[in-house]
Amino acid sequence: MPTKLEKKIIAAIQGDMPVTKRPYLEIAKRLDLTEETVLEVLRDLNNRGVIRRFGVTLKHQNSGFRANAMVAWRVDEARVEAVGGIMAAHQAVSHCYRRDPMEQWPYNLYTMIHSTDEAGCKKIAESLSTQTGVDDYAVLFSRKELKKTSMQYFEDEID
Amino acid sequence: MPVKPITDDIDKAILNLIQSDFPMEQRPFTCISDTLAPEIKIGEAEIIQRVKRLKKDGIIRRIGGNFSPDRLGFVSTLCAARVDEQHLKRFAETVNQFPGITHNYIRENKYNVWFTIIAPSRKHIEDILSSIREKTGITDLMNLPATRVFKVRAHFKLPTGDTAA
Repeated sequence: MPTKLEKKIIAAIQGDMPVTKRPYLEIAKRLDLTEETVLEVLRDLNNRGVIRRFGVTLKHQNSGFRANAMVAWRVDEARVEAVGGIMAAHQAVSHCYRRDPMEQWPYNLYTMIHSTDEAGCKKIAESLSTQTGVDDYAVLFSRKELKKTSMQYFEDEID
Repeated sequence: MPVKPITDDIDKAILNLIQSDFPMEQRPFTCISDTLAPEIKIGEAEIIQRVKRLKKDGIIRRIGGNFSPDRLGFVSTLCAARVDEQHLKRFAETVNQFPGITHNYIRENKYNVWFTIIAPSRKHIEDILSSIREKTGITDLMNLPATRVFKVRAHFKLPTGDTAA
């Protein structure tokens, strides 16, 4: 678990950082810390993989990848490791997870696929199907974004 | 909001550099200037101007950290619900009220609402789902936590110049 100091800094950088010459100095002042401490803790969190990614988040629809599809695959359990590995290696696949199948929902492998349009997403799914031999799958296009935010961790740690 | 494609190659080069590795240095924008290809001769001040503009234009959603929930002592899951048209609005409103529900989409399927939850424990997640069932009367609701992670990436390489596909 993160220390109190780490929680404070995590809470400060999980939102939107200031775009100024010395953003870490501004953050440090707000937290009553030194710039050096903020940077040291950040580098350490980054090296340990607690920070998964540090930087700019783009709005997908503006980045040329306008379409995305969640594809749910029904994979023979004995082949899940191999198939998951193949799918994860595809550069159009941003996320790939195994989840337990349900009685009413038999799929057990999930990928997020990104492309310029929906036809492109379908083509990538077809190609992954051919590559892996998994032919039972559902392509779920998003029709409406109801919510998209970043998780706010340790918000009460700031003051 | 109208879609503004990113057309400027220098903007793309900057964005490609700072999606995963925004410099953790006193003067991050100077570092970016030093890291850009030598033929791109722009300094700290211009990079700051460009990043500010990209934010103003809504191309950049935010700049900051993204965390592995499990490394912070949190757990996460994906949930799917089957909700008929007339209950959709109320269901979405109820679900969106929970701060741990970070993503929520309508998808084209009989399971038409898909959302993610991040919470301090599995028990918290079960409690949130019970509360949703109770408040909305929607009971066909699946909790699908990942049992194996093959890939998590949210970096989109923007093709520049002649390399555009």
